[in-house]
Amino acid sequence: MGLRPHRPHLAGVLLALAACRGAGHRQAGPSAIVATDDAGRRVALAAPARRVVSLSPAVTELLFALGAGDRVVGRTHWCDYPPQVSAIPDVGDGLNPNVEAVSARKPDLVVLYRSPMDATAAEQFDRMGVASALVSQDRIEDLARAARLLGALTGRAAAGDSIADALGALLSAPPPFPTSRVAFVVWDNPPMVIGAGSYLDQLATLAGARNVFHDLAAPSATVSLEVIAQRDPDAIVVLSDSGALPSWAHRPEWRTVRAVREGRIISLAGSLFARPSPRAALAAAELRRRLEGAR
Amino acid sequence: MKALALGGLAALVLALAVILGPTHVAWADLSTSPVVRDLRVPRALLAFLVGGALAVSGASLQALVRNPLADPFLLGLSGGAGLGAVLAIAGHLSGPGALPLAAFAGALAATALVSRLGLVADAELDPRVLLLAGVAVGAFAGAVMTAIVSLSDAVELRNAFLWLWGGLSGASWLTVLVIAVYLPLPLIVLYASARSLDLLALGEEPARHLGAEVTPVKRRVYLAASALTGAAVAVSGVIGFVGLIVPHLMRFGWGHRHRALLPASFVGGGILLVAADILARVAVAPRELPVGIVTALVGVPLFALLLRRWTT
Amino acid sequence: MLTLADVRYRYPGAARDALHGVSLDARPGELHAILGPNGSGKTTLLRVALGLLRPDAGRARIAGRPAHLWPRRELAKIVGVVPQREETAFPQRVRESVLLGRYPHLSLWRGEGAADRAAVTSALERCDAADLADRWIATLSGGEYQRVRLARALAQEPSVLVLDEPTASLDLRHEMDLFELVRDLVDRENLSAILITHHVNLAARFADRVLLLAAGRPAGAGTPAEVLSRDAAERVFEWPVEIQQFDARPQMVPLRKRKDRP
Repeated sequence: MGLRPHRPHLAGVLLALAACRGAGHRQAGPSAIVATDDAGRRVALAAPARRVVSLSPAVTELLFALGAGDRVVGRTHWCDYPPQVSAIPDVGDGLNPNVEAVSARKPDLVVLYRSPMDATAAEQFDRMGVASALVSQDRIEDLARAARLLGALTGRAAAGDSIADALGALLSAPPPFPTSRVAFVVWDNPPMVIGAGSYLDQLATLAGARNVFHDLAAPSATVSLEVIAQRDPDAIVVLSDSGALPSWAHRPEWRTVRAVREGRIISLAGSLFARPSPRAALAAAELRRRLEGAR
Repeated sequence: MKALALGGLAALVLALAVILGPTHVAWADLSTSPVVRDLRVPRALLAFLVGGALAVSGASLQALVRNPLADPFLLGLSGGAGLGAVLAIAGHLSGPGALPLAAFAGALAATALVSRLGLVADAELDPRVLLLAGVAVGAFAGAVMTAIVSLSDAVELRNAFLWLWGGLSGASWLTVLVIAVYLPLPLIVLYASARSLDLLALGEEPARHLGAEVTPVKRRVYLAASALTGAAVAVSGVIGFVGLIVPHLMRFGWGHRHRALLPASFVGGGILLVAADILARVAVAPRELPVGIVTALVGVPLFALLLRRWTT
Repeated sequence: MLTLADVRYRYPGAARDALHGVSLDARPGELHAILGPNGSGKTTLLRVALGLLRPDAGRARIAGRPAHLWPRRELAKIVGVVPQREETAFPQRVRESVLLGRYPHLSLWRGEGAADRAAVTSALERCDAADLADRWIATLSGGEYQRVRLARALAQEPSVLVLDEPTASLDLRHEMDLFELVRDLVDRENLSAILITHHVNLAARFADRVLLLAAGRPAGAGTPAEVLSRDAAERVFEWPVEIQQFDARPQMVPLRKRKDRP
């Protein structure tokens, strides 16, 4: 653990050199905290992070749950939980980070969602001597890992372990017997549904339901309307902050889906359901309640 | 005989589009099943009408700019129509009529810009300059669309990108009705201009000497082709290569006289897009490909083949 | 049939007139040749005569009606034009291409009938191109191609035939063939023909009347013998020449710079 993978090709050497040069700019001294992020990168801090920029809503929420909310000095446009985040400066939409805007917040740690675009940004932070961590957050186990990592990096290791243990317990408990079949529809034209790779698929299992598109490995996929009609879920779940029924629910082509025809569309609030969070157990319970109510 | 074969092929792909699908529908239930009635039939019809509209638009534009490589996509019309549609979505215009009209306006604006750029000293549209102008305007429209979509907060608009790639999943009897109302007028206008298009292929001055009123004909054909492209983009996003490939294929059987070529292209375009949509639905089931990807995957190799034939 | 009377035309924004004081009267059974150096206004004259440009002063009439007021389709029934250039973006067979000459006679509702097909065949025969009917245009030689284009103009069944440098890229035999063909059509079918050409000597031998243009102004109009004097030719073409007679027609011989000069 903590070993940089050996990359003999030129690009790797250049990156390594760049990283060394970046390290040279940092104040010399022993690294008190050393961890490895989800991309296998070494993240070293001389002391627990004091100024953190979070480039994902799930991380922002997690930092608050760790009790490190007061150290968050930058957040994304999308961060909406807990409510206090609105007082923190917005540094962009977080998808293609503006490195300059982020560094203007003078962070000692930047936490990014693990994506190819963010990996490029992380290299830039490396070169500037700002520590950064790439964190996966597609599923509950990702969040548990993130809790331990961020706990260590912010000096809140105990809180991190406790959140991770709670999430682990949620996952390892035998799930309730599935009593209903659901489809998560995230877009109508073309119809996009949630597959097995997504947090929502896990949430369905925890809520005693089965995602009818569990056979699709990807987090989400475009399918034809007819496939949704054919798989015939008991309920359709959509994410919406307003709670209103989606406009497509009244369209005749969607009414070929039994659940739509019979009005069993469950609308979930994005801030609790759109991303894995320490409130996953709460979300699962809420979904279960709503599913039972729809029957 | 040729016409019969083409008609038979059209009937065959339409039947396949109605029969094939993930849901098993018994023969006896074909006429009563809601899946067939509300999903497969409108989708097949929409694919046919959109494919036909794009192919006729392509055939007419090729004659107009005297370049067999022209099509609504390359001439920037599709890009303009897409931009118009994205602006309509961003501006929260709704209603079944709004999107086609916005797409039409976008196509028209792109057309005006392209022909303005393509205008050279002697006020004749230089076909090569026009094509380059079209590519430039199309790229520009694409860039503006990307900018709007990536700067917008609304999730709907991000997803507009998916829609722009071309898809017929939005098919319903309403969209079929919308396009069926929009199409006849431009189709009739183009058919009535068929002989002038034959003449225009010789160049503008020779066409005038053979009795064509070139300026009004050009204006009419541009308007009608923009209307067809706009309507097609509004209901199905940007679908490339149908307008390019189909007229080429049809010329093998029907020559380049537009009285025969335009109707043949309409049917041929319909066949191609229905077939492409069957592939899009079936090839990776239960997932689905954007139909524009399928037409590009089929169209580009076919186009390369034709290009070799043409140049050797 | 086709007349220009004292026509003046200036292109928008141009500093001088492209045509000034030009007159022409093309009568049935006459072959008119229009001669002049490059840029002397020959093509502008055609465009004014055919109603594509409206004269700033003077009159351009066809069958008594101002040329620019003719609907193109009506005009195409009485004037057949073989333009200098045309495009061949799409492959086409000869018969199909000649059929385009019938378009002015068809209507939105009427497709081509037996009479039109007969007119195409006849036009091809009169141009000695009947055997080319099923060939692709792209496979024709330069001479064959020009005969086909002439046939297309004839298929319009015009009373005026206009040819813009029809022999520009042809060799001697095909050039003579085409001049003979046009002369023959004028004589046998009582057509009125206007021919733009650079070939002064062929024009002098075949044409009934010649219009010599220099910088947009007429430098002579009348029979070849009247127009092609040594004086006029040297002034217009800006080169020393000698005029000789052949078959009772003037023939122009350009002189070498030093050797031939007196």
